[in-house]
Amino acid sequence: MAQFTLPKNSKMSEGRTWPRPANGNRTQAFRIYRWNPDDGATPRIDTYHVDRDDCGPMVLDALIWIKNKVDPTLTFRRSCREGICGSCSMNIMGENTLACTLGMDDCRAETIKIYPLPHMPVIKDLVPDLTGFFAAHSAIEPWLQTETPAPETEWQQTPQERSKLDGLYECILCACCTTSCPSYWWNGDRFLGPAALLQAYRWLIDSRDEATGERLDALHDPFRLYRCHTIMNCANACPKGLNPAKAIAEIKKMMIARQV
Amino acid sequence: MADNQADTRVDRRTPLARVKGLGAAGHGAEHWWIHRMTAVSNIPLIVAFIIIVAGLAFRPWEQAVAIVSRPLVALLLILAVISVTNHMRLGMQIIIEDYVHDKGWKIAAVIANNFYAVAIAVACLWAILKISFGRF
Amino acid sequence: MAQVKVPDRPLSPHLQIYRLSWTMVMSIVHRITGAANYFGAALVAIWLVAMASGPRAYDAVQWFFGSWLGLLILFGYSWSLIHHMLGGVRHLVWDFGHGMEPGKRFAMARYTLFASVPLTILIWIVGFTMI
Repeated sequence: MAQFTLPKNSKMSEGRTWPRPANGNRTQAFRIYRWNPDDGATPRIDTYHVDRDDCGPMVLDALIWIKNKVDPTLTFRRSCREGICGSCSMNIMGENTLACTLGMDDCRAETIKIYPLPHMPVIKDLVPDLTGFFAAHSAIEPWLQTETPAPETEWQQTPQERSKLDGLYECILCACCTTSCPSYWWNGDRFLGPAALLQAYRWLIDSRDEATGERLDALHDPFRLYRCHTIMNCANACPKGLNPAKAIAEIKKMMIARQV
Repeated sequence: MADNQADTRVDRRTPLARVKGLGAAGHGAEHWWIHRMTAVSNIPLIVAFIIIVAGLAFRPWEQAVAIVSRPLVALLLILAVISVTNHMRLGMQIIIEDYVHDKGWKIAAVIANNFYAVAIAVACLWAILKISFGRF
Repeated sequence: MAQVKVPDRPLSPHLQIYRLSWTMVMSIVHRITGAANYFGAALVAIWLVAMASGPRAYDAVQWFFGSWLGLLILFGYSWSLIHHMLGGVRHLVWDFGHGMEPGKRFAMARYTLFASVPLTILIWIVGFTMI
């Protein structure tokens, strides 16, 4: 049976409330999921207060401020701080997004709640285990496949053919979409998920690729592709404004097109 | 250990081997297509069904039998039974695949689903034919 | 590396914390109405088999469906059929790749509910006036 409730080792309890900043004129409260593999406890929710006047405007700025000024053990992934690397994806105010592109003011909340990406094994605090996510991407063979001998210079493509890749190549593999999908929650071991399927479509409609049939064969499975029930959480979650649901719909159309 | 390695306590397979599993089954589009096709056929047939049921409400048995025996009514009902039972069988199969993961329970549920859909279809079809052709 | 007792990694919360949206809620309602319709088909089968069995069986079934409980069940079943049908139309539109933009997909999800209730009531009113 799919687990709708959390297993015993995952149930959360109330954690620490960390001290307010000394000159707390403008503060923002945060409730953040914490779990430490070294202390044997179950996850807890810690409360922090961030001095808005001493901190940048984004949620990631607040997390870094907390780590620098209050609690150096708070653990999260981050890198570019400009929404292009995909590292700081997490669940903020109930929605998956990038911490570096979400302003604290845009949360419009007295307390900003932060959890790791949903239904994932937690390595520590806000860091999920994404090996399955990346394996699904690897499984769709995200590289150009040709039998025709390579040309002297480049494989050619008209501007119209190239425009078909718009809305697909921009994916930063942040995992916001895939971990927002209830189908991926219940069947993440067999369903590839929106991100991998969006990339599969990216290669399916690349005019330079010659393995379209084989790619469709690899997707022709009741679980790999057809666990998608157009729930649309993926399109709602994507911080880059992409639409995996639409890409998956196009793949399903290609599946029928080659049968009729 | 707070690192990014795959969980090797479950098994030693690589993440790629796990996600590839037993390979692509090679089917899925057919179910999807029939599910959509019966969805489309359901629209006019269910509308017809609702109209027929509303027309039969509170009528005595003799009138009900007379109405259902009429060719158009009987044919619409038969088509509705075939379309709806196919659609619901496929729909419930999807629900089972989503939520039931234990191998034993899954097989049992898939078999029960098929038996139920066939039972409903056969019961309804028998009834419509009996009403149309049977002697009372 | 020394053998460390590695704890089982917890599962991050999902349904417990994820923000519900119109598309997400209408999706699960589509499934629930589908499952309700699946089991409700037995009611249709019982009704038809009773009709084929003769007047006494038919009258008994009609009596039940004419009772308050029966009418309530029928009203719920008809709403479930209509809501599932409207949701199905929404899915068919999406299957063609249309209506998936942010504004449109939320509107379509909302209208599925906003249309199914009045449509059900309308059908019942028309049905009663036909008696």
